[in-house]
Amino acid sequence: MADNINVEISPLSRVEGHGDLVLNVKDKKIERLIFRIPESPRFFEAMLVGKNWDKPSHITSRICGICSVAHTYASIRATENALDVVPNDMILKLRKLIFHHEIVQSNVLHVYFLAAPDFLGVGSVIPLVETHPEVVNIALRLKKMANDMVRIIGGRAVHPIRTVVGGFTKLPSEEEMYQMKDMLNSAYADLEASIAVFKILELPAFERETEYISLSNKQDYAHYDGNIKSTDGWEIDPGDYLDRIKEKVVEHSTAKHCWANRDAFMVGAISRFNNNYDQLSDKAKEYAEELGLKAPCYNTYMNNIAQFVEVVHSVDDSIKLIDKLLEEGMDESKAMVEIKPKAGRGVGAVEAPRGLLIHDYTYDSDGKIKKANLIIPTGMNYGNMEADMNAIVPDIIERSEDEIRLACEMMIRAYDPCISCSTHFLNVKLINK
Amino acid sequence: MIDRKTDIIRANIKIIGFGNIYMSDDGIGIHVIKELEKLQYFEDFELIDGGTSGIDLIFHLQNSNKVILIDAVDAGQDIGEIILINPDDVKEFITGKGKSYSLHSFDLSEVLKLTKKLGLNKKLTIIGVKPENIGFGQSLSPVIKKKIHHIIAVIKKEIGSWHQEKK
Repeated sequence: MADNINVEISPLSRVEGHGDLVLNVKDKKIERLIFRIPESPRFFEAMLVGKNWDKPSHITSRICGICSVAHTYASIRATENALDVVPNDMILKLRKLIFHHEIVQSNVLHVYFLAAPDFLGVGSVIPLVETHPEVVNIALRLKKMANDMVRIIGGRAVHPIRTVVGGFTKLPSEEEMYQMKDMLNSAYADLEASIAVFKILELPAFERETEYISLSNKQDYAHYDGNIKSTDGWEIDPGDYLDRIKEKVVEHSTAKHCWANRDAFMVGAISRFNNNYDQLSDKAKEYAEELGLKAPCYNTYMNNIAQFVEVVHSVDDSIKLIDKLLEEGMDESKAMVEIKPKAGRGVGAVEAPRGLLIHDYTYDSDGKIKKANLIIPTGMNYGNMEADMNAIVPDIIERSEDEIRLACEMMIRAYDPCISCSTHFLNVKLINK
Repeated sequence: MIDRKTDIIRANIKIIGFGNIYMSDDGIGIHVIKELEKLQYFEDFELIDGGTSGIDLIFHLQNSNKVILIDAVDAGQDIGEIILINPDDVKEFITGKGKSYSLHSFDLSEVLKLTKKLGLNKKLTIIGVKPENIGFGQSLSPVIKKKIHHIIAVIKKEIGSWHQEKK
């Protein structure tokens, strides 16, 4: 390799000249390594001010097409906590059921369409259609199943409309509950087939222990609710998140970096896995073992495998939830609980597919938002991403610039970062134009 | 004699709007769907607010005879100009430099490349309008808002052409 290298990677494809990863090596030593993403939810925070309590979940659902259920529930839970609304057990089970399927939708696409092509050496999902059609077909079938689950419960496959503060505007019918159970049972063949695919993937043997933070509770593998827990031994009520999760301004970035017990921490599938391994279903544990994923895991690249293991758990747990709901009966008259607007502050913390997501709202006595603070998982991961790349680059410094670039790209991708989904404006060149 | 409703259901045409209503003109597709929902002419059609989850286009194509997609599109035309695109006419879906880093940059361009590879693009027509502003904002630019009724006329014409071809 050359002694000096300069790598710039721009994930934000439409922002020319905006290096989101900048790596300069001089005399085989890292001179500068910066990771920055300009995306920020600040506009949405400002938009929420003055909105009535029934509006924020629908507005924040539009922040992201991939995490729309997570934003919906972080928002609903923040509002319910502020207004002292306590949903009943049926509502909670149905919420956990729909939540599982955003995890499935997102994890499946990330693992099969974005991470697997790297490890299978084809670069992107487009050539994968020819080289590994079975991988594309498995991913599409699992994604379709999860879409149908979200659509049946939430009324739409993305940006659900039936999930509201206080409960659901409409419940799925008993027939739809059985239909969902059949769909889930038919997913097992694809999960089984996936094991063979993931076994041949060679993930880099990189390890760097950090602080892993996620939700955690005694009842289940926490996605929808729980305390905020750290592998460094602390656990808090989400309402106290400001006591532990701090933000700091760093010289090179417009986005603040988060820290807790150390300089940086990680959120996402691997943090959930490390904190809540015991709560996984037996099959998910079995698959984890078969794929070499053990808790605690300190290899960031294994986040991809943890995401797959979570898909298995979500399918298993969904069947359990449906069985319980059918056994206890779905009573439309209990679909909503009473809501009385009042002044107060509420924090909603959930696990988005890519990690801990916090909405923090303060309401006035008319039930209108006075102040909103949204903390997204990618913002929490910035510092850890930089620390990981600072750790891996010296180990591979003898390799070619292209190989170093690929290792850094794969590292960023392993985090499944939320970069920019706010616009989907299409840019094309037409023939003869 | 088959009634209109049955005819529409059998035709299995989906009309989908993509975009973000909080990113100004990027939301044109969603605004058009909201307008169609008010019109009797479209009451038996499947109208879909696709939000910003472009990948789901694949499932809509797999489960229909025809998909009409409305979105903000820059194909080199003037701001506000409406353009009808058959994916076969597209030389290049521009995704910028580099590969996708996350699902969030796995955008509609990538999805359209994938639909082409999966042989699903023949069923698709894209109706695009070039946006003026795609920054944060809750409303459409006046020049784009004025185009909603033109877009609806183009959708009706496209449905008519499809029926003619099938006869």
